[in-house]
Amino acid sequence: MNDPTHVAAADQQVLITRVFEAPREQVFKAWTDPDQVAAWYGPEHFDTPREQIHIDLRVGGRYELTMIQRDSGAEFAIGYEIVELVEPELIVLRSDPMPEVGMHEPTITRVEFSDHGAKTRMTLSDGPYPAGRDHAEAGWTAAFDNLAALVAG
Amino acid sequence: MPTDHLSFTFAALADPTRRSILTRLAEGEATVNELAEPFSVSLPAISRHLKVLERAGLIVRGREAQWRPSRLQADPLDEAVEWMLARKATWQARMDRLETHLRRTGEQA
Repeated sequence: MNDPTHVAAADQQVLITRVFEAPREQVFKAWTDPDQVAAWYGPEHFDTPREQIHIDLRVGGRYELTMIQRDSGAEFAIGYEIVELVEPELIVLRSDPMPEVGMHEPTITRVEFSDHGAKTRMTLSDGPYPAGRDHAEAGWTAAFDNLAALVAG
Repeated sequence: MPTDHLSFTFAALADPTRRSILTRLAEGEATVNELAEPFSVSLPAISRHLKVLERAGLIVRGREAQWRPSRLQADPLDEAVEWMLARKATWQARMDRLETHLRRTGEQA
């Protein structure tokens, strides 16, 4: 299978690259300013109220928000620790494990920002088990793609 | 939503030797000896890897004491991929909203 989405999934990592029509500082701020995070974090049919977003913007600081389902009012608290921070280039978040939904291990969300002319290229990776992962190992990705293809076939 | 079961799958897949074993088994069933061949690790080490894969439901092993050939079982793998795709969709939608948000703030500036 040549669908890159599928391959990325087999790699246990969600990979997303986007170009935003805004300068890097502005895109970075959209991730780190609670007023702005409230506007987009979502997900759909959820609100992330500003007063329940707390971002302590430093390495080791907390990044917390609460998602509230519009229909039911059910609340889901999401917590991250900021593990890497280079303004306005990089932010790496490690989620708190959420055993109640089966997430016993932390996930790592890594977001990189680079200039793309007057625009900004943002690369996001999000994965459940980065610890045992070894991207440098040349043969693996190809081998596992083959496996994914066989399995899908 | 992920389950405990899914954690086992991802944990099992986190190891490069186990991924190689699965790739080999995708070609057809194999005995411990056959699986150990390409690796510079002991048979007991391979057996331990097989136990992890078996617990994750990624392989099934034959009953014959001598051979116990292993066979790939793909269902948990499909499930893991499905979960990753759902997670990707969540992030994609989130990035759509971020894009809209940036456009809106850009117009105000």
